[in-house]
Parts: sequence; structure tokens; C-alpha cells
Amino acid sequence: MIATLLKRQATALPILLIVSALLFTALRLLPVDPAAMSMPPNATKAEVEAARVAMGLDRPLPEQYAIWIGQVAHGDLGRSIHVRRPVSTLLADTLPATIELAVAAMLIAGSLGLSGGLILFALRDNKAEPLAETATTLMMSVPEFLWALLFIFVFGVALQALPFTGRLDPGISRPVLTGFLLFDAAWLGQWKAFASALLHLVLPAAALGIAFAPPIMRVLRASLIDIYHEDYIRQARLRGLSETRILLFHALQNAGLPTLTLMGVQFGILFGGSLLIEVIYAYPGMGNLMVDAVRNADLPIIQAVGLTYCIVVLTINAVVDALYHVINPRLRAR
Amino acid sequence: MTALSRRGLFGLLAATGLPAIAQAQDADTATIGWPSDVAGGWDPNVRFAPDAQSLLKMVFDQPMDQDPSLKLIPHIVTAWKMAPDALSLELTFRDDVRFHNGDKLTSADFAYTFMGRLKAGHKLDIANSMRSVADIETPSPTTAIMRFKTPSPTMPVWLAFLGSYIVPKAYMEQVGPEAFAQKPVGTGPYKLLEYQMNARIVLERNDAYWGPKPKLKRIVVEIIKDPSARVAGIQSGQLDLTVNVPVREVARLKALPGLTGELNPIQRVVLLQVRNDEGFTDRNVRLAAHHAIDKKALSQAFYGGAAVPLSAPATPGTPGFLEDYTFTYDPKLAAELLAKSGYSVDKPAKIRMATTNGTFPSDFDMARAIVAMWKKVGIEAELEVIEISKYFELNRGNKLPEATLYGFDNATGDPEIYAGYLLNPKLPFSPWKDPVLGEKVLALFNVADEAQRIAGWRALNKEAAETGATMPLLQSVQTLVRKQSLNFTKYGNGWILGQTFSRG
Repeated sequence: MIATLLKRQATALPILLIVSALLFTALRLLPVDPAAMSMPPNATKAEVEAARVAMGLDRPLPEQYAIWIGQVAHGDLGRSIHVRRPVSTLLADTLPATIELAVAAMLIAGSLGLSGGLILFALRDNKAEPLAETATTLMMSVPEFLWALLFIFVFGVALQALPFTGRLDPGISRPVLTGFLLFDAAWLGQWKAFASALLHLVLPAAALGIAFAPPIMRVLRASLIDIYHEDYIRQARLRGLSETRILLFHALQNAGLPTLTLMGVQFGILFGGSLLIEVIYAYPGMGNLMVDAVRNADLPIIQAVGLTYCIVVLTINAVVDALYHVINPRLRAR
Repeated sequence: MTALSRRGLFGLLAATGLPAIAQAQDADTATIGWPSDVAGGWDPNVRFAPDAQSLLKMVFDQPMDQDPSLKLIPHIVTAWKMAPDALSLELTFRDDVRFHNGDKLTSADFAYTFMGRLKAGHKLDIANSMRSVADIETPSPTTAIMRFKTPSPTMPVWLAFLGSYIVPKAYMEQVGPEAFAQKPVGTGPYKLLEYQMNARIVLERNDAYWGPKPKLKRIVVEIIKDPSARVAGIQSGQLDLTVNVPVREVARLKALPGLTGELNPIQRVVLLQVRNDEGFTDRNVRLAAHHAIDKKALSQAFYGGAAVPLSAPATPGTPGFLEDYTFTYDPKLAAELLAKSGYSVDKPAKIRMATTNGTFPSDFDMARAIVAMWKKVGIEAELEVIEISKYFELNRGNKLPEATLYGFDNATGDPEIYAGYLLNPKLPFSPWKDPVLGEKVLALFNVADEAQRIAGWRALNKEAAETGATMPLLQSVQTLVRKQSLNFTKYGNGWILGQTFSRG
């Protein structure tokens, strides 16, 4: 199984190289001048030109790419033009926050999706089924930024039940260890910070995750309907197994395979979709960093964030592949 | 579309009239919702970022300062003497200033900040403002003499402007600029306690501060870029003060119990930067374009009438402002000027115009209104929306269109920093490249006598308007909403300083 998995992951490196080349070329074709962007308004033309040479932008494109990819291979992602800090430091500061947000959003999407899928399945051929389907369609139709603003209004402004800016209350100091705030707070035993971080995560994660739940519900429902037509379900009933036991130990395990695949794909999309949510909730993640970088044409950051997204998607694919092998006995047998 | 939908949603929600409810918060802490972060981390010499000045001024001190009316005042520098030829500047420093790490501030720190760092190869924006500095002598720990390559009469002003913050020589050399930007050490009224980029800045009172002690112990700055979220933040009580919210929201929020709102005119000029070629080669077309703009109507429509219409690139109260000069709104004259050059409503002069959308309040809407005003007199403008990064890119490449709507910030109010940059043909920043006016601009940089210098810039401001080299529109407005329980000192340039906050 491990050999099969490794073989599948061997394609990751060429994919990464292709994406990096596309990313680099596309950004260099944009009509922006990073050298000019890096200088203050009262810089002279000669000073801008000197900056261009210092940044290597006067060299041919393939040479620039070779230098960049060589540096990336050595862990050097360059220096931000606007912030003037190493990009690797900026990523290290923001990536954990985005991962934390995306995981929380996926947990919300997964919980809602799985429980909703079971409810939809239970309501099949029921009078309430059209109502439930309408509800899922509504959940999918509302864009995430609208959910974000609605949640802010309802839970932040009107009910004043939940915070909606940043990651912590003003009076609480941030525990610093790994950047994963919940983990850091728990590890250091700072439970007040943990509770505050958790409360701050609820609204952005819900806004990000809610639109991803309905597809999970629908796939799970459809898979369960298919599986309940299989012979082994009928045989299980003949053996006198309870409906609950059939659902939990026979049907759900098999119906979970396509659902898991879908969630894997969704996680990649959800990770990339955090941009707007992070801006609205003033959440200090990679999305916020990217929005700033695009606004300032900060090419080193855009390149690095693009590459990071690619690595995250490839990693998620690898994890889903591995889980698929663990869950699916037919693949394990190969 | 997204922005419109968001605005629409909040407008709808606002109609419910939900009150702002004050959250239980530590009275010794104020939480500010700020639209942008410090650019360049916490190394204050690295980037020129007007919106970051309020944040930097809480942690660092500048050699000179400005009072709320923007008058240049002593600060770390207690006395200064500019040589008659403006080729040297003698400075005397306070003797009781200590950095947050306990080190005493001396003239060596000043010399290191403005000269030593540049010699050490640190990449700093102050390299541009200190371009004329040849040497800085430090005859004693409390005195320094700056020597210039060319006359630099505005150097005292620059010592209170962008990027001019004193950093500690010993600490910077010990830890390096990278570590300094993470753990900065200043002499300011607050110390940086915690920083998370694009998210949160926590400042704690510097109890050893040499000046008046801040009343509030802690200032928390939440970086909230989305204006709708800032509005929600202040309405929910999660913020004590926020700025740059939509003008119409100020009126709504200030009506809620516990909140108050203000439209404060600041030292930022909203203007049209113009070219002297292409569709604007003809002076008649340029002047017609300027005469056709009803600035009062723009102010009324987009700033509730709070933005003062401008005729020259200087704001009221600054030395370059021309109290007795008005560039008239006269659409009839505009049509006549265009007719002289063979243009009319049926045969319009064609130009291109660029604007940002969201860089300053109502920029895009204002640009559309100007295009509509021009159309009525016989100028057809093709409007292009650009990002601010694109603006800088086009400006540097001298590729801006005939007219570009822009907000030019000058916290000092000095006329050189308005016209001297907007119309300087040697700087890539100016799209106006006419050598005749350009020579006059460059000459004024070398005038040492203060009265003569100011008179020169005033004359140039008028000439620039009358030749169509610039089209100043309005004095920009800072929108601000705060809890009534939080008091602050209002500065003419929009600084919001935690050290001026008080409760009650």
C-alpha cells in the first residue's frame, strides 16, 4: 500500500514545478514594475533603475526563474517588496492561522454535511423532503461573504454574542509557540486565551464552511440511497440486524468513500476561498496577506502564497489518498 | 458588485436602527479599528506610509513634532538653527530621553538614524528624504549639525514627517534591522507589547516617558481593512474608535446612543494630476476641464459639504493656501474655451481619465461625476479604474492618462511637499513634465529665505492652476466614529494618537 501511495505522490514534484513556472511567468507578464513599487514617491528614475538591477529584474526571464526556483529549493522565498521582510517569515506568521481557519471551517462543513446528509436520507420520499432540499439549495446559493456579513450582523452587532474581528480579545495576550493559536493556548495552559480564540474562530469558520456542507449532504444522501439497493443490505436485514446497525456499520462506511473524496477536493477550494473571509473578519491569515500583496503588486509574496496553495492542495490529495486506502478494503488488497 | 452588495446589505441592516451597546471593557484600554497596518514592519525608517504615522508616533519619537494646528514645534529637538544659506542645520536635543530598553538617547542615535543606517546599507525610504544630507556631526551628546549638499530649507519639516523617527544605534547594531522590525525599541509614549501583522497591535504605556504620560495604559489597534466590518465593530461596541468609514455611515452611527461621529478636514488634497501632452496639450482644454468641475457639488454629494473646495494644491491654514484666489466654476467659460479650440458638445475633446476605487472615500463615484460634468461642456473622458499599485506603476513609467484622480497626503502642510512633488519634472511622481514650470519648481527647492520661499510657492500654486498644470478639487476628509466616553485630540492632518486619549 505504501509503495502505491508513494508512486502516486511521485507526480507531485513535476506538478509543483509546472505550477511554479506558470505562476512565475504569468506574474512577470503582468504590466507591473516591482522595482518602481519598492521605492517611495520621491525616488528618482536613476534610483528606481538601480533597484531594478539589484532585484535582478534586468535579467532574462528564464534566468530570473532559475534563480528564484533555486532559492526556493533552499528555503529562500525572497523578500517582500512592500513590507521588506523575508517572505518565509510572513508565511510562517500567517499560514498557521489560515490552516486553523480552514480546518475549523471543514469541521463545521463536515459536521453539518454528514448530519444533514443523514437527515436528508431519513427524509427520503417524505413530505418534508422538498423543504429540506430547498434549505440546502439556499445554503449553497448564498455566497460566503454574505454569510460573513449576516453572521456579523446577527451574532456580532444585534445579539453581541460573538466577536468578529481578529483572533483574540483586546485584553488577552497572544500565546506564541507554533502560530496555531488554539494549540498554543492549550499547550501553554492559557485557557482564557483558548476560549477567546475559539470564540473568535466561530463566525469566520462558519461563514467559510457553511456553503460547503450542502454538497456533502447531497453526495452522502445519494450514496446511501444507492447502497441501500445493494444485496448485502438486504442480506443484513434478513440476518435480523437493526436499521441503526446497518446504517452505521455497513452503509455509512461505504457511502463515506465518495463523501471523503468530495471533502478532500472541497478542502483545497475552501483553503483558497479564505481570502475574502479573512479580510472581512480582519483575520490575520495567508488570505489577508495575499490580498495586500495583490494590491501592492508584491510579486515575491504572490508567488510564494501561490506555491503554498499548490503544496497544500497536493498534501490534502495525498492525505485523502491515504485515507481512501485505509477505508477501502479493495484498494488495500491491491 | 461585491462591495455594492455589502454596502446594500449594511444599509438594510442599518435601517433596523439597532443601537450600539457598550461592551464591558477595561476603562484603561482603548481599542481602535484602523484600516491599514504599519508598512515595513516596525522599522519606522523603512517605508513612507502616511496612514501608518499615527501608529508609529505612539512607539517612536520624531526629532521635531507638529501641534494639533500643525505648527512645527520642538520635541526631541529643543532648538534648531538653519544657516542663512540653508546648507547646515544645528540641532539641540533633550537630555532626558531614554529608549524603551533604558538606553539614553543622544545625538549619536540621531546621526545613526539619518546617516549611519544609510551608510550601513539599510534599505530605507528616508534615503530619499535625506538625499541632500552630506554629513551629520555630533559635537556633543545633545547637539548635532546636519550639513547639506544643496540648500535644504525644509529639513526641519522633514524631521517631523514621513519616516523620520529616531532609532537606537546600539540596539539596532546589536540585533540588526530584521529583528528590530519584530521587536522595536523606540522612545515613544507607548511600548509595543504584541504585534500580529494585518491583525493586531497591542501597545502598553511607557511609564518612563520623558513627556506627558498617556492617560490610558493600553491601546489595542485592530487592523480591519473592510469598512463594513469597521462600522459593525464600532456599532457592536467592540471598538472604541474607528476611522475611514463611509460618510453616510457617520451620520447614522452618530445618532446611536453612546456614539459620536465627525467629518474632519485633513491635509490631504484630492486633485486631478494632469499631463501636459496628448489630449491635454491644448491649454484651453485643460482650463475648460478645470472650469467645468463643480467642486462645491462634489463636496456636498460625497463629503456632506465638509470638504473645502480648493483652487490651489494646498489646504486652508497652510502657507501655500491662497485665501484670496478662487478658480471659478464656470461651465459657460469652459464651453467658450473649448469652442476656441474647435470643440463642442457635438464634437467633444477626447481624453482618458484614471481613478482608483476605494483608495480614498468616494473616489470612483467622484470620478464618474467629473466625467458627467465634462460631458456637459464638450469633453468626453474615457474612465479607467486602476488599483493603487497600478497608479504608481503608470506614474513611474509616465504612462498615466491625461487626468488622474488622486489623494495627495502632506501631513506637514509645507507648500514644497505639495507642488514641489506634484509638479517636479525630475521626479517620476509628476506626470506634468513641462520644463517652463518645472524650472521654477526646481529653483524653489534652493531658496533659503523662508518668506521668499513661501511667497515663491504661493505664486507657483496660482500659476499652476491658471495654466492647467494641476486641478486641485477638495480638501480630503477623515471620517471618524467613536464612543462618547473616549476623548482624543484632533490633529489637522488626521493623526489619531493614543497618548491624547482620555475617558470621561
